[in-house]
Amino acid sequence: MRRTFFYSMMAVLLVTSLLLTACQPAGGGGNKVVTFIFVQEPETLNVHYTNMYFSTILQQLWEPWAWEYDENNNPYPVLVAELPSVENGGISADGTVLTLKVRDDITWSDGEPVTADDFVFTWEMAIAPSNTVATTYPYSEAVSVVAQDPQTVVVTFAAPFAPWMYFFHGVLPKHVLQPVFDSEGTLDNAEWNNAPTVGNGPFVFAEWESGSFLRFVRNDNYWGEAPKVDEIFIRIVPDDASQIAALTSGEGDLGIFIAYPDIPTLEEAGLNTVKVFSGYNEGWYLNMGPDANPAMLDVNVRQALAYATDRFAITRDLLLDKTVPAATFWDGSPWMDPTLAPHPYDPAMANTLLDEAGWVDSNGDGTRDKDGVELVLRYIANDRQVRIDTMAVIKQQLAQVGIEVDLFNVDSDILFGSYGDDGPVATGNYDIAEWSDLPGGFPDPDTAYWLCSEIPSDESPQGSNWQFLCDQELNDLFVLQKTQVNFEDRVATFHQISRIMFEKVYFLGIWQDPDIWAVGSRLSGVKISGVTPFSNITEWDIP
Amino acid sequence: MTRYIVRRLLQAVPLLFFISLLLFVMMQNMGDPLATMGGRTMTRSQDRARLTRQLGLDKPVIVQYFFWLIGNDWTKIDLDGDGIAESPGIRKGVLRGDFGYSLVNRKPAMEVILERLPNTLLLMVSAEVVVILGSLLLGIYAALRQYSLADNVVTTLSFIGYSMPIFFVALGLMYIFAVNFKAWGLPYLPTVGMFDPRVGKSVWQVAWHMILPIFTIAITSFAANSRYVRSTMLEAMGQDYIRTARSKGIPRRSIVFIHALKNASLPIITVVGLDLPFLLGGAVVTERIFAWPGMGRLFLDHVSRADTPVVMGILMLIAVAVIFFQIITDVLYAWLDPRIRYH
Repeated sequence: MRRTFFYSMMAVLLVTSLLLTACQPAGGGGNKVVTFIFVQEPETLNVHYTNMYFSTILQQLWEPWAWEYDENNNPYPVLVAELPSVENGGISADGTVLTLKVRDDITWSDGEPVTADDFVFTWEMAIAPSNTVATTYPYSEAVSVVAQDPQTVVVTFAAPFAPWMYFFHGVLPKHVLQPVFDSEGTLDNAEWNNAPTVGNGPFVFAEWESGSFLRFVRNDNYWGEAPKVDEIFIRIVPDDASQIAALTSGEGDLGIFIAYPDIPTLEEAGLNTVKVFSGYNEGWYLNMGPDANPAMLDVNVRQALAYATDRFAITRDLLLDKTVPAATFWDGSPWMDPTLAPHPYDPAMANTLLDEAGWVDSNGDGTRDKDGVELVLRYIANDRQVRIDTMAVIKQQLAQVGIEVDLFNVDSDILFGSYGDDGPVATGNYDIAEWSDLPGGFPDPDTAYWLCSEIPSDESPQGSNWQFLCDQELNDLFVLQKTQVNFEDRVATFHQISRIMFEKVYFLGIWQDPDIWAVGSRLSGVKISGVTPFSNITEWDIP
Repeated sequence: MTRYIVRRLLQAVPLLFFISLLLFVMMQNMGDPLATMGGRTMTRSQDRARLTRQLGLDKPVIVQYFFWLIGNDWTKIDLDGDGIAESPGIRKGVLRGDFGYSLVNRKPAMEVILERLPNTLLLMVSAEVVVILGSLLLGIYAALRQYSLADNVVTTLSFIGYSMPIFFVALGLMYIFAVNFKAWGLPYLPTVGMFDPRVGKSVWQVAWHMILPIFTIAITSFAANSRYVRSTMLEAMGQDYIRTARSKGIPRRSIVFIHALKNASLPIITVVGLDLPFLLGGAVVTERIFAWPGMGRLFLDHVSRADTPVVMGILMLIAVAVIFFQIITDVLYAWLDPRIRYH
């Protein structure tokens, strides 16, 4: 009887499982659905409220930028009739006035026309004190933004403003959001932020189930070329290994942030992997402030660090030869002096430079020292595995030239904590910090990291110059470039900047850090831009 | 009993205040919510300063706690950064049911939590049912056949499951039954999510997608629970009243399931009662690996962003649930064992 009971229970479980298997609904339905696998969930769809990559890259689906970028990161007009320039009168001769011609054939998905008023409203919302937007930049740089007529937007700056292309990444529908702002005094809690009722891209928002998925369906009122697929389904899969499993099993058509070791697995499963340059370079930020090891103030020591670090071996062995060492903060862009190349691995040169600088092993403990100070450097990064591995390798390499390194790995929110929050980098509690970064308005090259005015202090705790470096020549060049609306002039200035930073080793590039995308074999027509990845989404197709 | 329950509820009030204060202070040391704002790089210094002021993060911790507790609609705040508090606050505070707005997506914290709660309950309650039924089945079977081959096999297998890390079990099941089965041309299970977008969401789709997560949780939970059932059943089966029942000729099934199991279940109810509130917290690892949109992932995501309103909401929900289920457990105890009386 006991045996019968046990077997009965097991049979029930088995039959239940089989029933579930057998009753799985049939697939199909006729719609062409492309499934993206995102490892992070977008925070919001109102791009003004987030810095998050996965939020911003979705915009090309439903809310295009004024201008977007092709697969070579070259800009082309989308909501405007042409890119403004001095030649076509879009940029004034003195660089302080930007005039945009809004296309007269574009509409929101509800049929309302997109006009200059929407652009002005976007600027007003970005700088409204009651809106807790993620950044007011670059909108706060404009003195005024006015609609001269329904198709003309005039942006006026107090001084020439070169990074103007960072404007209008997402234009807000005034006819929908103005009433919300008028009644609530803020857009912070507008339902539109997470469930936009109108957009102006090839797809429109359909559904968002928190933590699970987002759906965008074809916009029947789209003013441009109609997309070839019916629906974009974005599945949130936070675990890297699960993302690979979903892609290899065919449950996803597109994945991003593929780790280098996973590339062979995906390619064996028939997926294409695409390297896309999105402005990021992995590099070292070197502390030259009062709390740094005094060796860091010596250019010979910084150059020795560059020669003693075998970045070629790191990219070959840890990154499977999928990328190359970086020379500057602007690698892969026209802003870097093209004559620069990463320092070669030359430990003999490193030893010579350290000897010349007076750092020798006087006490025979295996570590160089000078004036009683040991050459022991604090090397900090977040806890991403590839960084942990890199740090371990570099520790061994530097030990060969008599430099000892203490390694620290912390969570990103701690690593990037501000001076006021005792962040380890912001307070100068490090000698070498490593992360991957890009100019804030990429592909615009502007950055504030090395401005003298950005050095954090008790009076200015939010400063972002965590190198505590004030090189007046460099500072003046950074200030100058921001006012150079002539492309060639600005390129020349950045070549100077990149050369100074390279020669004085104010930044040490470790590797160029492209994004790796996995594209399913059934997808065709995919061209991924590093700035606006889905800018040719209307050309994507599946059988 | 009623007086006992009322007294326990009253005792819970100061306890919850203390817990909330402790957790709130701890949350302030979980990182800087404005460090990256979810981006791949750090937040601009001017924006960080502005947001710190607008979101009230520049206030002392104790002030932030009181605003969280009782709101700030009775005072004014400085939104434009001119040093003058000119705008009335809009927060009502937890005591008036307002848990604040998520620092991540600006949605009401309780709305963020309640969006995920049903998914977590669906997964965790299903898993708990499977675990309880499976543990009872295995535990009773092993107890009735003590030291037999079957007992040893059940014990060995359950300990293998118990000793394996849950992420290993999860990924192992996923790669075997989803990825490899598909590659081998066999019927296969889905890897992630709650349904196939090409099919659409349905009861069957969700059930289909729950198989691997449930069995992952179950495999790692069977061992402890089934061993517990086995030992309490063995103890109960050796009692005098069981011998008496046998001598009266009562059928074995009745002896096992009515007499022995009812008495053996008292300690088991304590274990299950302790488990229940934590079902709300979800299964962090399982949800992450199978991309199940539950509370565990929500908690992890928002802790990593130092999102105090959402994290505090989840923690307070669990704290309340712990107290509630403890009282329920005590009441069940008294119902199962009439000798127990609370005063």
